[in-house]
Amino acid sequence: MIQLKNVSKTYSNNGQKPVYAVKNANLVIKKGEFVAIIGPSGSGKSSMMNILGMLDRPSTGEYFFENREVNTLSEDELASIRNKKIGFVFQKFHLLPKTTALENVELPLLYSDRNNIRSLAMAALSQVNLTDRATHRANELSGGQQQRVAIARALVNEPDIIFADEPTGNLDYESGQEIIRIFQALNNAGKTIVLITHDQTVASFAKRTIQIHDGVVSENSYEKLVSHE
Amino acid sequence: MNRKEILKSSFRILKRNKMRTFFMALGIIIGIASLSLTFTIGKGFQRQMAERVKKFLGSNDLLISAVKLKMEGNKSSDLVSTFTIDDLKAIVSEVPGISMFDPHQILPNQEIVAGNQNISTTIKGSSAIGQIVWNRGVIKGEFFNESEELNASRVVVIGPRIAETLFGSSNPVGAQIRIGNIPFTVKGVFEPKGVDPHGNDLDLDVFVPITTLMKRMMNVDYIVMAKVVVADENHMDEVVSGITAVLKERHHISGNEPNDFIVVDPIFVREKIKEMTRVFNVLLPLISLIALLAAGIVIIVLMFMSVNERTSEIGLRKAVGARSKDVLFQFLIEVSITSLLGGVIGMIIGLACFKAFGVIMHLPFVIPWQIFVFGLLLPIVVGIAAGITPARKAAKYDPVVALR
Repeated sequence: MIQLKNVSKTYSNNGQKPVYAVKNANLVIKKGEFVAIIGPSGSGKSSMMNILGMLDRPSTGEYFFENREVNTLSEDELASIRNKKIGFVFQKFHLLPKTTALENVELPLLYSDRNNIRSLAMAALSQVNLTDRATHRANELSGGQQQRVAIARALVNEPDIIFADEPTGNLDYESGQEIIRIFQALNNAGKTIVLITHDQTVASFAKRTIQIHDGVVSENSYEKLVSHE
Repeated sequence: MNRKEILKSSFRILKRNKMRTFFMALGIIIGIASLSLTFTIGKGFQRQMAERVKKFLGSNDLLISAVKLKMEGNKSSDLVSTFTIDDLKAIVSEVPGISMFDPHQILPNQEIVAGNQNISTTIKGSSAIGQIVWNRGVIKGEFFNESEELNASRVVVIGPRIAETLFGSSNPVGAQIRIGNIPFTVKGVFEPKGVDPHGNDLDLDVFVPITTLMKRMMNVDYIVMAKVVVADENHMDEVVSGITAVLKERHHISGNEPNDFIVVDPIFVREKIKEMTRVFNVLLPLISLIALLAAGIVIIVLMFMSVNERTSEIGLRKAVGARSKDVLFQFLIEVSITSLLGGVIGMIIGLACFKAFGVIMHLPFVIPWQIFVFGLLLPIVVGIAAGITPARKAAKYDPVVALR
């Protein structure tokens, strides 16, 4: 489903030497996987997610998404793929304030050609057990509930893959556990999940762990990491 | 893109940010309100004048006025005493297409006395067919006849307000009145007619035979004006040039000398009215356009603020699949709705003020079609013109940067 070939992302500041956020990454993620990308802050994991989620383009290298080279796609085509194939969950939830949970979930449908957006959004909310909060405004919900709304929004257009960037980072332990359980359930139902985190405990729920450090990607199974310690 | 749903969500966004929406619309409200008000007042005045003109100058009528324009392009003019009844007779015999004519002379500020009542007004002299030519109905008694005109009889037809002042509710027909020192017999009372284009109350009219006025009261041989009725209004232009030619010849006026008369046709009057109401129809609306310009600037500033404030929302929309043009569309829709709303409110306020003003000024309440262009189309044009730059900025946001 996803293949990175020698992908790098560099940032240059006023002609200074370019800084590598991602360096020569090679990576394959198959359909149905539950992958955690783990690294400390500043390791380049957010840059990695932006590239994987097609919010950003690699500086060099090739990125194949469902066998299409992302660099050859136009901005509009990327937007269309983000809309139909990808769901995002962010650390800061990024819900529209003063807007109801239901309307937040409807947002991706505004940019699709689907009808009955209200009932589709309700169905997505029921997947995260929040139908009773549908008419509450985002700012009236607890952190855990807000993140569940964000997950419903990621699910509403039935994407193939969900990218979650530190989804438990702003939550207490209990709410974090609940969110992880939802991801596990979604994965069990066949969704590909890519979880970006700095937290080993959170990463441990994934079936596969990819480490990123100073932009360099290396792969170890969780078991291997444990045996090293 | 689901345009209908984006439209619905735009409404919700505007509703949730009432203060911002209000201030964005405020300039448009003020601009459109003043534009609607000044324009409708101008049109109202125009219509009011046209209605008054219609009372004394129908579409078949011409007025020949004995005035001399002082200089080319100079608006002021002098009354002259060169226009005579013989001129009028010559015109009628030489210019084809004239069905009726009536000479007119006036004597202002005359005291009329009946018993112990008196009133001061202008005496008008006309021929026996003056009633028909001036389209004046007589409700009591009758208009003077041809023999009374020929004999310069001392008979008078009075307006209803004169009758009321002098005679109250009793019938004045047959009664004696004095104009100056000359006794007259009241022959009839005009039906009510209202006000003429100059604001003169026609119900204060006092008509005597023109011969009586010229010979007995004024001792003059000239007239100030004549009304000519043209048989076919399509031949108006020919009649006007015919009259001009005859009068120029009789008054020995060569090609480039100024005329000592003006021929007023309905088109001339219409042009004059337009000229007089130009300040309302052109100048004041132009000032309102400046208000709209200010409204546009307010919109630009508030839109830029809104775009900055909503950076992360824009990033999110792009992350979930909005294309740049979808974001552009969204912001333009929002500004269009706001401006349109402002336009409609402004239009309603403007028309309400016009209604109030019209009551005070006795203007007819008529809504010209242009008001709907001003109220519905212009605000959207202003809104989009002002909003396009901030909306473009929003559309260009990089989602990665916007979501940070």
